[in-house]
Amino acid sequence: MTGPYATAVIVVSLLLCLGALVLLVADQSPSTGAWILLGVLELMIVVFAVGGVVQLVGADHDVPAWEFVGYLAGLVAIVPAAAWWVREERSRAAAAVLVVVLLVVPFLVLRVQQVWAGTRG
Amino acid sequence: MAETEPGLPQRSTAAGFGRVLVVVYAIFAVAATARSVLQIATRFDEAPLAYALSAVAAVVYVVATVALARGDRTSRRVAVVAISVELVGVLTVGALSLLDSTAFPAASVWSGFGSGYGFVPLVLPFVGLWWLWRTRPGER
Repeated sequence: MTGPYATAVIVVSLLLCLGALVLLVADQSPSTGAWILLGVLELMIVVFAVGGVVQLVGADHDVPAWEFVGYLAGLVAIVPAAAWWVREERSRAAAAVLVVVLLVVPFLVLRVQQVWAGTRG
Repeated sequence: MAETEPGLPQRSTAAGFGRVLVVVYAIFAVAATARSVLQIATRFDEAPLAYALSAVAAVVYVVATVALARGDRTSRRVAVVAISVELVGVLTVGALSLLDSTAFPAASVWSGFGSGYGFVPLVLPFVGLWWLWRTRPGER
C-alpha cells in the first residue's frame, strides 16, 4: 500500500496536474491527448484499488475496512466523474476542474495509506 | 460570454468558474457524507453532537452542490439558503470548537474553521455567495 506503485500514482497525478495548470494559464481546454493521459492515470488507479482490496483481504493487522474501501472507491470514481462533468465544457474551466481533481487524487492516495497504517488523526 | 453550450442558461451557476466551484462542493459533499455515515454507523455514542453536526454539514454540501449544478431560478434560491447555512455553520462550529473543545472531541469538517481541510470550508461559502451574486439574473 505504501510501496513505489502508490508513489507512482501520486507522481503521475501531480505531473498531469501541472499539465492541466499549464492549460489553465494558456486558456485552453484539454485536448484528446490529455484525455488519453487521464485514462492512463485512471487505469493506474484501478490497479491500485484492486491491489488494495486484495491486500485488505490478506491483511495481518486491523484495517478499518469500510473506510479503506470507501477511500479506494472515491479514488476510482473521481477522475471519470470529473471527465463526465466537463464533457461539454469548451473553456479553460475544464482544465481548472482537472487541476482540482488531480490534486485530490494524491491526497486520497495518502489518506488510503494513512487508513492502512492506522495513523489517521 | 461568446459561446454558451445549448441547453445551459446564459448565466448558469454551473458554467465557467461555476464548473470548478461545483466540483469543489461535490468533493466536500461526497467526503462529508461518507465520513458522516461511517461516524454515525460505527461510533455515534462517542460524540453525538459532533457527529450530528457532521451529518448536517453533509446535507448542506449535498444540497448546495445539486443546486449550484442545476442553476435554475429555484435552485438559485436553494443554493443561497444552503450556502448561508454553511457560512453560519462553519463560523459557529469553528468558534465553538475553539472555545469549548470538549463539545467537539472528534473532528468534523467545520471544527477549527475547517483547519483540517486547509480552511477550504471557511472560504467556500464566501466564494459560493459571491458566485451566486456574480451570476444573478437581470444583470448584464
